This record gives sequence, structure tokens and C-alpha cells, in this order.
Amino acid sequence: MRLFIKSVATVSKACGVVAAVLVLLAILVVCQMVVIRYFLNDSTIWQTEFVIFSLVAATFIGSPYVLLIKGHVNVDLLPLYLGERGRRMLALIASTGGLLFCVLLTWNGFELFVEALEGGWTTDTVWALPLWIPYLPMPIGIGLLSLQYAADILALVTGHAMPFAMEAHNPYEGE
Amino acid sequence: MDPLNIGILVSLVTIVVLASGIPVAFGLGLVSVGFLVAFEGMDALGVLAETFFAGIAEFSLVSIPMFIVMGSAVASSPAGKDLYEALDRWLHRLPGGLIISNIGACSVFAALSGSSPATCAAIGKMGIPEMRKRGYPDGLATGAIAAGGTLGILIPPSITMIVYGIATETSIGRLFIAGLLPGVMLTILFMGWSLFAAHRGGYSFRDAAMGFSFAQKMEVLPRVLPFLVIIAGVLFVLYGGVATPSEAAGVGALLCLILVAVIYRVWQPRKIWKIVSDSMKESVMILMIIAASALFAYMMSSLFVTQTVAESIAALEVNRWVLMAIINLFLLVAGFFLPPVAVILMTAPILLPIIQAAGFDPYWFAVVLTINMEIGLITPPVGLNLYVINGIAPEIKLTTILRGALPFMLCMVVGIILLCIFPEIATWLPVALMGIAL
Amino acid sequence: QLKASHQWPGGKGDVRDEMVQIIAREVAAANVDLELKVYPGKSLFKPKEQWSAMVKGQLDISAFPLDYASGRHPQFSATLMPGLVKNHDHALRLNNSPFMQDIKKIINDAGVVVLADAWLAGGFASKKNCILEPESIKGQVTRAAGPAFEQMMAGAGASISSMPSSAIYQAMQTGVLDAANTSSGSFVSYRLYEQVKCLTAPGDHALWFMYEPILMSKRSWEKLNKAQQDALMAAGRKAEDYMTAEAKGLDSKMVDVFRKAGVEVVTMSAEQAQAWKDIAQDTSYKLFSEKVPGGKELIEKALAVD
Ligand code: NA
Ligand code: NA
Repeated sequence: MRLFIKSVATVSKACGVVAAVLVLLAILVVCQMVVIRYFLNDSTIWQTEFVIFSLVAATFIGSPYVLLIKGHVNVDLLPLYLGERGRRMLALIASTGGLLFCVLLTWNGFELFVEALEGGWTTDTVWALPLWIPYLPMPIGIGLLSLQYAADILALVTGHAMPFAMEAHNPYEGE
Repeated sequence: MDPLNIGILVSLVTIVVLASGIPVAFGLGLVSVGFLVAFEGMDALGVLAETFFAGIAEFSLVSIPMFIVMGSAVASSPAGKDLYEALDRWLHRLPGGLIISNIGACSVFAALSGSSPATCAAIGKMGIPEMRKRGYPDGLATGAIAAGGTLGILIPPSITMIVYGIATETSIGRLFIAGLLPGVMLTILFMGWSLFAAHRGGYSFRDAAMGFSFAQKMEVLPRVLPFLVIIAGVLFVLYGGVATPSEAAGVGALLCLILVAVIYRVWQPRKIWKIVSDSMKESVMILMIIAASALFAYMMSSLFVTQTVAESIAALEVNRWVLMAIINLFLLVAGFFLPPVAVILMTAPILLPIIQAAGFDPYWFAVVLTINMEIGLITPPVGLNLYVINGIAPEIKLTTILRGALPFMLCMVVGIILLCIFPEIATWLPVALMGIAL
Repeated sequence: QLKASHQWPGGKGDVRDEMVQIIAREVAAANVDLELKVYPGKSLFKPKEQWSAMVKGQLDISAFPLDYASGRHPQFSATLMPGLVKNHDHALRLNNSPFMQDIKKIINDAGVVVLADAWLAGGFASKKNCILEPESIKGQVTRAAGPAFEQMMAGAGASISSMPSSAIYQAMQTGVLDAANTSSGSFVSYRLYEQVKCLTAPGDHALWFMYEPILMSKRSWEKLNKAQQDALMAAGRKAEDYMTAEAKGLDSKMVDVFRKAGVEVVTMSAEQAQAWKDIAQDTSYKLFSEKVPGGKELIEKALAVD
């Protein structure tokens, strides 16, 4: 069980790396696009969509990592007033709700991906990128997010983790 | 069920669900899914993934991570310190000179960053310890930074303005300009209060004792100059017709990364990596909320709640200023509990038709809305800036920070009132620079 | 109770909004226990999402520019292809041609029903000179409406910059853009007459037409009884008649507004339009024929309509 929680955490951290790389890539492509369009006066074909989809992918793939470090902002008014036990119960309820939504979204996202793949859908631009490519990060990222949620719940139940990360709930880590 | 009653039910359920401490993004998603299934059946989930995806697959949103990178690159360098130091060397003779310098630095930094927590962190990291060292009370020091940091979403660039622009189909470039003078106005109000508070408390003595020679005053300028050049550059790119806000943001992000690498020698891969991954965390958090808000807005519209609420408010026929006061109160309360992007995406579709029907300018309203959101950033339970201050100075109690921040919140309320009396503060510059809105 | 959505402002006189409103009124008047709830101004779905929402039965009715779904059915690009429709009368003849029968079969097979046909015209405008023969656009930074137009105009030597029609005004004002191609409605509503020197109106030999029918989800359609289906079809015809009468009016309104603003207004001659089609032959038609199954036949069938 410890192993499961640990390996999920490792996967989530890897997701964080992938997401950060995607953000960096998007920055570079935006700059390349600006150079081509405004300095070389050339048309750009793939850049706009590439930038949009890589940031969408970064959002989905980065979300398990952000959950791992408790970076998804929440309202922690009620937990503040509860005792240790109540807090644990509430955290369990909240996490189960979150997991439920994420599982639904994963499943739905997977169906969308399959539809796009089988239907041969593309974007309606000159580039005509096959749509399954930008759709794929959703089932993967949100799927791993569900896994991270499951690990969090497990850690809560077995008492390995503090609910709501009360001590370090700052998403910016003092930066 | 009558859409209006559904609307009340949605509000209650949303409050209960979010109060459980579930992350705002998943809470909004869960509420949306629950209501869609309850009122339209399981089939309604057929559009779940596509709506969620389409909520963030938008070129204008690209600028959000970019502006965050810009801010966090500069924040990772000692630029924030240089900024208020430069101001301090010129202003230290004023009572409360250091605090005024910090607020000034916040407003200059706000022009580099689209987010408030980033602004707060960039200046506060060095500014708060320095102020406390020089004898300023904890409350005033942290309150000033918490409030000064909120300028990040008013002074362009601004993440909330980008989201507002997308939600209401208004020009993002124009929204940015509309926020400029009000940002300056708030800066002056904040400084005014600090001056008064410092004078009343007599905290000026240790500042005045330190003198700076003219050479010292000139010496800091070259370190601040590059950032002023980037600010000017991004503004030129935006309004000189060179590129769209997203493109300007991307170029600005790369320039800031290069600049901190060259000037502050933050070039080690580990440090650059930290900048990128910190920005990734913040933008993932924001974009997930935006995607979930898109789902929420779809649910509200599909159940005809949005339309019905808007119609019934419009049918009230109250005085437009009473209406504006009610809307402000509502936004203020929403801002206590929710981060700005969620508030904007959930309420803009309802509010904008009402606002326009009542004869208010959508750009002016964006500014008023943003100032409301700024107040929300420094109120519990969800106040992103409070988290940041807590990270910088964990030993200072939340109540102390709040007591220090309260007068600044009142300054913002005064700001909103001034904007109501003199709407030109927000509307004059856009017209002067870009002509009348379409 | 049915949901109808579209992307244009509601209740402000937009013809496509009016078509949907007509259907809503007619269906209500028919007393067949059917009510249409209209969601204008993308208040329910984003414009391009409407297609799959209809396919899935989550949206019942939409005023939908068919080309938006060309990522899923590439054949739909033929409904936003340069030079296939010459003028409004030609568009009416096209509606019942083998070309449109093929297109409507694809629409049907995808799970969507056509309630009313509608074609909207558009033109060109430039800050520099009148766009008439292909040479006149050479070297100008141009915004084109639709990939097929981008290909043709690039073929004529224009430099293409993609942006939504709502961004044209500012792009022209700041000098990013020299020329633009968009619908007559957009030319007026975005006040482009304040920016341009010359407008090329549709006239008798237009290049830009777009098919923007009223569509209905087949799933929703099949849930209705015969009386309700008949009422919807009758309402659709009413909306179509209204559109036929209004479509030309849109163009003349644009011409009036631009003239009043002191903009020079011209139309293309048959020869000038042909010169553009020759370029399209080597660019957009060629690519469409190569890439899209049955594309070559579609173009031929469309060009065969006199
Ligand atoms: Na800012
Ligand atoms: Na708050």
C-alpha cells in the first residue's frame, strides 16, 4: 500500500515535468511565430494550434502533480473549525467527490478520444491536425489525476496523510 | 422546476460542496455534473469532456501561463528588491518612505505580471523582512504588501481581464488600458493611507536616519531599467499593432527569462527549471478552474438559470446605482469565497446583459469588477495573497495581517466610489488611445 | 421542449437569429405541443461545438455554418469554397442540385437534418485599392474567411493572417492588416467602413458565399410525432422564404452603409471572377480534390449548376 501511494506520487511528479516542458515549448513556439509573422512577414500554419493544444495538454497532464502538492485552491473555512476527526471525515467526503468527477471526466474524455480517432476528425484549419492528438492528454492526465486522488484517499484512510495539508497549504511555497 | 428555483438550489449546493474543502475546480465540476444529470438525464454527460476541453482551448488564454512565467521569472531574481530599493533611496525622507516604496514597487511589478499572488511574492519576499527590520509594525508591513500585490490584476497585464475579455467578448487590449489609470489611482490611495498611518504612528525615524548620496541614488537605476524597458516593449507590442496579447505575452516571457539569466545570473538549469515549474503549477490551477467554470456556465445556461436570473433582475427596474451597489455587494461576497477567475466566468454571462441594459460601459465595469476581486484576494477564506504572505512570514498571525489590510480594502472601496463618480478614470484612456469601442 | 442555439446576437435583427425565432414562433402557433427555447450569442455552446452536440442529441436545433464541421466531414468545405456560388439566385438553384443533395446526404448520415437552407454572401475590402482582379491583392496582408479562401488568396500573392472577424477592425487600425474578406453582415457590424478605402460587394459574380442552414438533431427529430415534424418543416420553409427575401437586402444594406461613409464600392465582372476561379483551380479546388474523398466530383457538380 505504501508502495502504491509512493509510485503514484512518482508518476504524478513525472507528469509535473512533462507539463512544465510543454509550457516551455509553448513559449518558444509563440516567439518563433512572432518572428515568422512580423519580422519575416511569412504565414504561420501550425503554430497557433500547437500553442493552444500544448497548454491544454500541460493543464491536464500537470493536474495530478498539482493535486499531489495540494496546489488546487480550495475553501478551507469549514475544516479550520473542525477537530481532527471531523476534518478527516470531511477530507474523505471531499476527496471522494473529487474522485467521482475526475473518473467521469476521464471516461468521457476517453470516449471523445476514441470517437475522434475512429472518425478521423481533424481541426478545420489548413494544418488539419488529427483531433485525437489534442484530445488524448485529457483521459491520460485526468486518469492519472484520479489515480492520485485514489492514493490520497488511501493515505487518508490509513492515516498516512494529514487532511487538507493544513500546515503547508500555500500553493506558491513562498515564491 | 422553475429556473429561478433551480438557480437558488444551484447556489446552495455550490456553497455546501465548496465548503467541504474540495478544490474549487473539481467542486464546480461536480456540481455541474450533478445538476445536468438530475435535470437532463445521463445523456447530458455526452458533452462533458468536449465542454471542459473547449473551455481552455482558446488562443487568448495562452497569454495566462505566459504572463505568469514573466512574473515568476522576475520574482525569482532580486529584481523586486532592486525595485523598491531604488524607490526607497529617492523617497526615504518621507514618513513611511519604505512602505511607500514597496507599494510603488508592487505597482511597477504589476505591469510585468498578470497575477496578484506573483506580485505579492515578488515584492514581499524581501520587502516584508526589510520593513519589519526598520521598525514598521507587522500589520502595516504585511497589509501593504497584501494590498499592493492585488494591483497585479488591475494594472495591465491582467489574468482576470483576459478571462473577462473572453467571457464577455470584449477587447482584451482595451481592457488592459482601461485598468491602467485606476491602477495608478489605487496606488496613490494606498500610498496616501500608508503616509498617514506612518505619520500617525511615528515610524519614520529609522528611515530618516539613513541618508543616501546622489551617487547611491543613481547607482540603482541601471538595475531597474531593463524591466522598465520590457514593460515598455510589451506595451508597444500590444498597442503598436505588432502582435496579439498572447503573442506579446510569449515574447515577454522569453525576454524576462533571458533578462534574469543575464542580469541576475539566474542561468543555472535548476533555477530556470524552478521558474517554469512554479509557473506551471499556478497556471494549471487557474486553467483547471477556467475549464470547470465553462462546464458550470454551460449547466446554468442549459437549465435556463442564467437567462431567467438576468431577466428577473432587469425586470426589477431599480435605480441603476442601486443596482450597481447590489452587484458590487454580490461580487464582494463571491470574492470572499472564490478565486477571481471563477467568479468572473460564473457571473459575467448573467451580469453583462444587465450592466449594459442599465447603460454602464462594459470596460468600466471590468475595472469595478476587478477591484472587487482584488478585495477578495486579501479576505479569508480564499485569499490567494494571504497564502503568499503566510508563506513569506509564517510567524505573523492572520488576524494581524487582516487588521493591517483592512484600511487598504477601504481604499479600494473608495476607489470604486471614485470610479462611479468619475467613470472617465477608466474610460478616458482607452478612447484616447484606441477610439470609441465597437 | 426543444433547445435551439446559435452564435449571433439575439433580438437585434440578425437574419440567422430571426430565422430561428420564426421557427420558434411558427411551431408555437401550430399548437402541436412543441416549444423552442432559443439560446442566442453562444450562450449554450461554442459555435463549433454545436455540431457534435446535435449529433449526440444534446442540442436540438442550430443555425450553423456548415463549414465549421469540416474537420469531421471534410466535404463540407465545399460549402465555403471560392466561386462555387455566383449570386443569390444561383444559390437557390444550387439548393436542389445534385451537389447539395450529396452534401445533405452527408449531413443526414451524420445524424443531422436540414430544416432550412440559407446562403450568405460576402466580399472583400482593402485599405489600399479595390480588389478586383487577382493581381490587385498582391503583397497585401489579408484576412480570409475560411481555409479554401486562404489558399486561393495566397495563390494570388496575398500574405495571409488568420484571425476572427471580430479582430479585423483593430488589425486594420494598427496596420497589421491591409485587406480582409468576410461576410456582408460582419462588414457592417464591425464598422469596417471606417477603415477601408474600397469595398468589393457581391454583385452578380461574387466569390464568397457560405452555407448557413438551420439544422436539427436527428435523435431529437425521431422523438417527435408526425404532426410535430410537419409543423417544424413548415416553419423551416417559412424561415427559408424569409431568408431568401432578406439575403439580398443584407448586401444592399452593406453597400449603402459603405457608400454613405465615403468608401468606394465596386463589384467583380464575370472575367475578373473567372480569373480568381482559375487560381482556385490550382489551389483550393486542387487541394480539396486531392485530399477529400469525392471532392473532385463535388466541385464538378457544383460548377455544373448554371
Ligand atoms: Na498586472
Ligand atoms: Na477571499
